[in-house]
Amino acid sequence: MSWQTYVDDHLMCDVEGNRLTAAAILGQDGSVWAQSANFPQLKPEEISGINKDFNEPGTLAPTGLFIGGTKYMVIQGEPNAVIRGKKGAGGVTIKKTTQAMVFGIYEEPMTPGQCNMVVERLGDYLIESGL
Amino acid sequence: MADDKRKNTRNDVVLIFDTLFSVSQSSVSSSQSLFFASFYLVLLAMEALVVDAGSKLLKAGAAVPDQSPAMIIPSQMKRMVDDDGPSTVSEDVTLDPIERGFIRDWDAMEDLLRYVVYTGLGWEEGSEGNILFTDPLSTPKAIREQLVQLMFETFNVSGFYASEQAVLSLYAVGRISGCTLDIGHGKIDIAPVLEGAVQHIASKRFELGGTELTKLLAQELGKSNPSTNLSMSDVEKLKEQYANCADDEIAYEKTQNCEIEQHTLPDGQVISIGRERYSVGEALFQPSILGLEEHGIVEQLVRIISTVSSENHRQLLENTVLCGGTTSMTGFETRFQKEASLCSSAIRPTLVKPPEYMQEDVGLYSAWVGGAILAKVVFPQNQHVTKADYDETGPSVVHRKCF
Repeated sequence: MSWQTYVDDHLMCDVEGNRLTAAAILGQDGSVWAQSANFPQLKPEEISGINKDFNEPGTLAPTGLFIGGTKYMVIQGEPNAVIRGKKGAGGVTIKKTTQAMVFGIYEEPMTPGQCNMVVERLGDYLIESGL
Repeated sequence: MADDKRKNTRNDVVLIFDTLFSVSQSSVSSSQSLFFASFYLVLLAMEALVVDAGSKLLKAGAAVPDQSPAMIIPSQMKRMVDDDGPSTVSEDVTLDPIERGFIRDWDAMEDLLRYVVYTGLGWEEGSEGNILFTDPLSTPKAIREQLVQLMFETFNVSGFYASEQAVLSLYAVGRISGCTLDIGHGKIDIAPVLEGAVQHIASKRFELGGTELTKLLAQELGKSNPSTNLSMSDVEKLKEQYANCADDEIAYEKTQNCEIEQHTLPDGQVISIGRERYSVGEALFQPSILGLEEHGIVEQLVRIISTVSSENHRQLLENTVLCGGTTSMTGFETRFQKEASLCSSAIRPTLVKPPEYMQEDVGLYSAWVGGAILAKVVFPQNQHVTKADYDETGPSVVHRKCF
């Protein structure tokens, strides 16, 4: 299965009537393995900020999480596993796998819980497969 | 229009709030109020249970936000041990299933919940509904997971949700952002919340609470009444009756010569209470009385808010909420506001006034009320953890869906 199929079928799938706005699977170095049509371009400093926050949770909280220039307020995640951000009624969930990071950006009416389920489920599957 | 707004949980909470307000105010157009009233009635038909388990009191009831919880019972339990042998002495061992806000003794907790849910609130075995629990700040993941497991496997609930007490206390006063100061029996939590999300990096938890104040009172009374024997539960009652906050530090110094009151204990002993009752209140503002090298709570609150990004400072300071049993002490609020006005920072903490239609002493169970409000939003919209979710993913699903 190609990475693009993972994004199209497993991340951008229908969840109780809602879909993610954008999703992507990126390598931990920032390289794009696959992404959805309107996923923003991440800057190198944003990638390094995210990696740093995975290693030392709390580094991004004071300044905020930036994705393609958009600022998200950091909320409770899981150390070295999940980073969650909130922006108004929407937000982002980033799940770290063995070699990659799974991104899911959602807007109203999708709920944070639904986004988490989708992103983290795929992430867990990739971890089990060694990716 | 109303349906679009309903999609987002946090907007919903404010909307439920407006509903309660407008239904009581009758200032909304008749068609709108009829719609809201029928919405409210539909929700009443499938009520969830809300349980706020604290170190001292357990508050539980059906999710009806503008009433106080149906059950407010002490969390402390007694285990009766009967000796089948020759001696007929039965030992009573008191247990606290909840220590410092966290569930420690799971067997006792299960028994307590069984009593609450089946006997107290009238659930029937086989048709359990939805339940919402409140968590204190920084609840370890393992404790949350174990609670979910207990609920689904032992109690067979159909839906579960857990939310942090700080966020719920804010919902109870109609806010989604602000700073909560929760002074409970086992802990003090200071948590800034922005748009329904607790800023964990900035929050602080103190392992001191009503218990320490009771011990202080017992100590002080022991010094001034050396001949009398006081049990902790007596001291606890005395604290609730007499504890006071002096107007400020100078007034506290003056209490050296304050009036001494005589109090008769249930067993007939008479004790005199003088300055001790002011010491209890003062300890919160000057922890050195308890022997702690910490700043007073107002100072701590300001410091915590200053660690959050500056654009949110005003919002947090202007929406400070006091909750927890200890804050109902006479003179506490006035003293807090006085200390706040002495603050050096540009914006001073301002306390939020609970809305008029809320009960008088909503501070005592604001987390429960907030839980009731949240339950009305979360369960109908299926944002909670269902039995199917639990069966598929296991206990860790609680971290994904509940926050």
